Amino acid sequence: MLTDIHEGKTLPPVVKHVTQEKINLYAEASGDYNPIHVDESFAVKTPFGGTIAHGMLNLAYVSEMMTAAFGRNWLSGGRLRAKFKEVARPGDTLTISSTVNSIEKRDGVSYANCSFEVRNQKGEVVVAGEATAKFSRGQE
Amino acid sequence: MQGNTVNYEELVPGYEFPLASYELSASLVSKYVQAVDGAGDGFVPPLAITVCAIATMAGSISLPPGTVAIHASQDLEFFKPVPIGTTVECHIRVVQKIARGKMGMLILELGIFDQGKEKVQSGKATIALPA
Repeated sequence: MLTDIHEGKTLPPVVKHVTQEKINLYAEASGDYNPIHVDESFAVKTPFGGTIAHGMLNLAYVSEMMTAAFGRNWLSGGRLRAKFKEVARPGDTLTISSTVNSIEKRDGVSYANCSFEVRNQKGEVVVAGEATAKFSRGQE
Repeated sequence: MQGNTVNYEELVPGYEFPLASYELSASLVSKYVQAVDGAGDGFVPPLAITVCAIATMAGSISLPPGTVAIHASQDLEFFKPVPIGTTVECHIRVVQKIARGKMGMLILELGIFDQGKEKVQSGKATIALPA
């Protein structure tokens, strides 16, 4: 878990490579077999021109980063708001980054309000949003 | 309505999708963790819970051939860690429907509960789909 949480702190970034194999595996795990994700012959005829990763797969990387930073406090009390702005395709490399924008105390509990972004290798924002997690005294 | 599917016209504010219940088994979580390159820690990754609920809901919407539904935004709040092996029940209802030309936006509210009827997650999803 992260220590020394303060305003302006940057969470350790996460880098992920999108592959069709991972998308297929994600479809299997989630039960989301929307053909835009798993059927190239279908997807090529859509405005996307090919398969795309599930938006929730891209967002899962954000949750993973928050879990690494805040541990169980993310699983119990974590909040997020995300907008899916661009699609991720097989072959893309995604970089997930986040910064603590503010710290607030409510009922004696400290909360870190973070902004996050998922960008592809071209620098385009794929997912953007805010996440909040409480953190313990040892992390301050 | 055909079989277990619902069409766009039926998706009006207040519509509740049939309750979906599913077990977050070790094999499902393992597959999920592998797909997201994650690290297992004995609890179900929170988005693994959400996505099963959303997939169940999305799979029940009947879309015109050749078209797709796209996830536009997602809000979530997690209330408690969920141990692997937990069975959860998912409640999803339409809270708003917005028509934008040939596309529609559905705003859905979701609540996920464990066997003890305790809420483990709540959230709001915006889905864009052909009107």
